Amino acid sequence: MRKDILIIGFVILIIAVLFSGTKIQSVEDYYQTHVDDITEDSETIFITIEATTILNNLDQLDPELKDEKYVPKDGIILAKSEYVLRKNDTVFDVLKRTTRHNKIHLDFQGASENSFKSAYIKGINHIYEYSCGSLSGWMYEVNNKFPDQGLSRYKLKDGDEIALRYTCDLGRDLGQEVKEY
Amino acid sequence: MKSFVSTHPVVLFLYYISVVFMTMFMMHPAILILSLLGALLFFFMLGPTKQFLRDTGFYLFVFILIAVTNPLFVHRGETILFFLNDNPVTKEAFVYGVVIAAMLVAIIFWSKSYTLLMTSDKFVFLFGKAIPKLSLIISMALRFIPLFKTQMKKVNNTQKTLGIYTSKSFFDRILSGVRVFNSLLTWSLENSISQADSMKSRGYGLKGRTNFSLFKWSSRDCRLLIVIASIFIIVMYLNIKGVYTFNYYPVVSNFEFSIKHSFELSIVLMLMILPTLVEIKENLQWRYYKSKI
Repeated sequence: MRKDILIIGFVILIIAVLFSGTKIQSVEDYYQTHVDDITEDSETIFITIEATTILNNLDQLDPELKDEKYVPKDGIILAKSEYVLRKNDTVFDVLKRTTRHNKIHLDFQGASENSFKSAYIKGINHIYEYSCGSLSGWMYEVNNKFPDQGLSRYKLKDGDEIALRYTCDLGRDLGQEVKEY
Repeated sequence: MKSFVSTHPVVLFLYYISVVFMTMFMMHPAILILSLLGALLFFFMLGPTKQFLRDTGFYLFVFILIAVTNPLFVHRGETILFFLNDNPVTKEAFVYGVVIAAMLVAIIFWSKSYTLLMTSDKFVFLFGKAIPKLSLIISMALRFIPLFKTQMKKVNNTQKTLGIYTSKSFFDRILSGVRVFNSLLTWSLENSISQADSMKSRGYGLKGRTNFSLFKWSSRDCRLLIVIASIFIIVMYLNIKGVYTFNYYPVVSNFEFSIKHSFELSIVLMLMILPTLVEIKENLQWRYYKSKI
């Protein structure tokens, strides 16, 4: 009886691993990706990743993250940079590509893993949700507006300006109004 | 001769509360390893060696299962070992998995010795006066599964002699299993009601009713209680001061072993191997007395 449960546990683990695929890459292989070169007729977007709100709330930040490696002095993790927009690219695709190109850590919940059917960013550069108080997390902005859509459902246009911003107060410190439900 | 078993239930209960509390809520790896060590040693002292080996063998695989599962689902941490399906598998997540597994196995082994030591009569002795109904329910609930198992064996054997399970058909076998389970269910309901009725008719939980119990408070209990309480208070004080804080993400904290640290850990070790020490002392005393005969 006990052994059966254990065996079932191992079998579930193996099935889960096999189902999700077993593409194993070394660190160097993973980061060695090709990024499209910007030519004159290619469509491009701009992307920024920043966590400046943490600088005003340093007392709430987890003590293990108090390092310039994680929170840079000016709060900007990725300065505004231009990338090629591929066809049917969502914000999530672009973010994944840029973080991979710049070797920035990214932890997310895939679109198939939650009920919103959209990817959710858990952490960038080891700064996670709830790392700076219980109201903190990552938000994204396109052309200075916070879309009411998940990251992987927002299709981008040529020349869009994306910004991933960290909030310590449910978006209020980013000038976002929080609706009461 | 089992000695720790004969300590007063109050001391026993407080000991288990403090040990389990420390194991569950303090994430320092050294504390968890010491707790696991203490639990294993004490369980080794209590039962036959064969049982101990079988259980440790089983829980070794549980340990591995938990330790391997964590890095597959948690991608936090700075030191990336490799990428699995574009997700990083990190050293930190692996270390955390090992620590969590150690915690779980330690708790399981403490509970194993707890069930051997804290029998339901001790539990009812402790809480029968204060919360008579709840303590009865808890002791009955804890007793339920072993009782259910033995009764299942009995019913199964009886049914076998009556000719059930003889059919080769798979569905027939399932149906007979359902039949046994059905009878067990009604039996367990009836049994619990009759037990409650019988307790009530004997005046359980009434005012002025006295209970007979063999538990006596001795000077040894006093000494043990002082040791347990003082260690627990010191450890909690140090914990509030942040001595035992340990981070796993994004980088595993450095574990420096200094003389100051050795004191902080040795008192934890003291608490964790206390029952083992009591057993060893008693065993030695027994040998000594025997040699004098």
